Amino acid sequence: MNVIQVLFWILSAMALVSALMVLLSKNPVHSVLWLVAVFFAISGHYILLNAQFIAIVNLIVYAGAIMVLFLFVIMLMNLNKDTEPQKNIWMKLAGAISAGCLLMILVSLIKQAPELQAKTAMMNEGGIGLIANLGKALFNTYVVPFEISSILFLSAMVGAVVIGKKD
Amino acid sequence: MNAIIFSVIGGVVMMFTGIITQQKKAIRNVAIIALIILLLANIFDTYGILSIHIGTHGMLNFQKFGLYFNTLAYAATLLFILISGADVTQIGEGKHAAEFFALIFFSLSGIAIITSYNSLLLLFLGIEIMSIPLYILTGGDKRNLKSNEASLKYFLMGSFSTGILLMGIALMYGAHGGFEISAMKPSAVSNEYGILDPLGLVLVFIAIAFKVSAAPFHFWTPDVYDGSPSVFTSFMATIIKAAGFIAFIRLFDNKYVELGLSWRIILPLVIIATLLVGNITAIFQQSVKRMMAYSSIAQAGFMLFAVFAENDMAKEGILIYTVAYSVATIGIFAVLEKMEDISLAGYNGLAKKHPLLAATNTIFLLSLTGIPLTAGFFAKYYMLLSVIKYGGSTVTWLVIVAVIFAAISAYYYFRVIQAMYFKTGNPEVRSYNKGFCFMLVILAAITILIGIFPTIILNWFYF
Amino acid sequence: MTGLYTLLQINQLNNTAENYFPIGVQIIFAIGFVATMIGLSALVGPKRKTSDKLENFSSGIASHGNARQPMAVKYFLIAILFVLFDVEVIFFYPYAVNFKFLGWAGFWEIVLFVVLFLIGFIYIIKKGALQWED
Repeated sequence: MNVIQVLFWILSAMALVSALMVLLSKNPVHSVLWLVAVFFAISGHYILLNAQFIAIVNLIVYAGAIMVLFLFVIMLMNLNKDTEPQKNIWMKLAGAISAGCLLMILVSLIKQAPELQAKTAMMNEGGIGLIANLGKALFNTYVVPFEISSILFLSAMVGAVVIGKKD
Repeated sequence: MNAIIFSVIGGVVMMFTGIITQQKKAIRNVAIIALIILLLANIFDTYGILSIHIGTHGMLNFQKFGLYFNTLAYAATLLFILISGADVTQIGEGKHAAEFFALIFFSLSGIAIITSYNSLLLLFLGIEIMSIPLYILTGGDKRNLKSNEASLKYFLMGSFSTGILLMGIALMYGAHGGFEISAMKPSAVSNEYGILDPLGLVLVFIAIAFKVSAAPFHFWTPDVYDGSPSVFTSFMATIIKAAGFIAFIRLFDNKYVELGLSWRIILPLVIIATLLVGNITAIFQQSVKRMMAYSSIAQAGFMLFAVFAENDMAKEGILIYTVAYSVATIGIFAVLEKMEDISLAGYNGLAKKHPLLAATNTIFLLSLTGIPLTAGFFAKYYMLLSVIKYGGSTVTWLVIVAVIFAAISAYYYFRVIQAMYFKTGNPEVRSYNKGFCFMLVILAAITILIGIFPTIILNWFYF
Repeated sequence: MTGLYTLLQINQLNNTAENYFPIGVQIIFAIGFVATMIGLSALVGPKRKTSDKLENFSSGIASHGNARQPMAVKYFLIAILFVLFDVEVIFFYPYAVNFKFLGWAGFWEIVLFVVLFLIGFIYIIKKGALQWED
């Protein structure tokens, strides 16, 4: 058990607990704040995997901008307690059972996977996550997906104007 | 590459047309011209004339099958805009007419990507570029609560399925160390595929099955198709859905071996569930629009046979199916758009007052049922034949089940015909012009033409 | 200035995850400091929980209405456009790091990307999506 493994377990526990709290907290604003905690924990994981660029982008874009957007959406809604719909207990049970089955299958398969046995984080191994290398890959091999992604942004802009603009 | 580039240019042109002019006719005409240019560019690309080549590092693999599908999809879109373009400009008080066309163009560029992808990364991008405009089109009628609800439901479910898709892609990347599906041939990994790869493949399967609304991932379909403006339902249920099947075929052409025997168990189960849910639930619908939503699930069950069979016949079949199903559904929705009351009772006595609408609608419904002399017959015929070609007598039961469900589907399609011809009523129909009638006749003519000479489509494919 | 320059060079040569150790320490220190201060003030400070004390302070006027009013959509429109352009800027960072290496090819790639965004931006401006309307 070296430092990296200790960090890995701490971050994993943080991510899981925060993710659970996202679901369990009654107040949606608290959920969003827990989600920010999840993103911080996952950024920690990225750093352990030597994917520094993604770690920073995750913090800037996800924990920063997109979470603000989530908060906006929550504030667009009516947050009074009495408007909260009552959920059917059977629905919850059915959801828990089906999601539990999926979890069981995923865990058992990943436990069997020879590729993944006894692997946690590999600090300082593989340089592809460093900004310089990532930029080289992005602007050479992956330049077509990169340009195509701007179509996605264009349609998102048009969509935002269509949906959000008062007319 | 032409298709992707020109559809983006078309989208941008439409964005700015909306700024320059608010005249609906002008906007519609610009859209039609841009679409014709796009169609021509894609046809030229198919034959290597004036085609733009960009080094994609093997991420896009332009094959004739995908390019030809693009041509069919764009031609279907052209028919769709010619017949329903005027209705598109009316949605949401007509304030965002040009934007709707721009979004349709962006969606078409997504189609061009997922018919030619070779990298899972582009599969993801293509599916997203295809779906995100749809989320917005679904909510296009902003003042309509049902449209809003449909949009939100579609968006939430769609983004959830995208999450599953990404998870699957990540696992497959982990297993192979790359995104390229042609490099993921089983021989490269010897006999041991590992477990990550099949697991990822199943997750990707779930995500694409969601996009084509195969059961048990169909729950979004009725509400979304019912709630969104009818013209966009028509676009979503036809062209977009068919493109989803091309994504399926491209992926599982290379990859199904890795799922081994379980693939041959999972897929028939999904197919039968889809046919069952679609056909049985459609029987109980009172609204024609909702019935068409369930019928589109049922038709998806038939199209899944192409994924099951995995041979050249299946590819030919999916092309014919795309045309037959798209043309018929676009026609039915075009008529539906003109009806004031879209419940079954609203169609009562349509034949007396509007014989042309009723007659063409009957042809489309017969085509969807799969009656001989209509395109739908050969579509279903090719599908079932490809399955028999693949499996011989071991899959006879599957074919029999499919035929039984096709027979069941006749019940609810014929109910509409019955309402139009054999019931008396006073259907209220919005005004329509000569051009609309002309287009309906054209669509019906295509349906019958392909019903008599199904090889027309394939001749062009092999040309 | 030269000192800073050498520091930067050290960082480039030795770009490992350990470099993030000070950041981690800083985060832990920041959270710890705030938590300690809040905890201390809660622990040490006097508490008189009367109904008057717990009431929201509003300049002596009794508060009325609900604070959780739905917000206007216009904020959301600005926010979502901000996120889109934020993501665009993120893509510049790996380009800037590799500016010399990528040369002209990279330049044209990024120009195409920016042009597409610029088209979107002009569209937004022309549509008046950034106008603060009531």
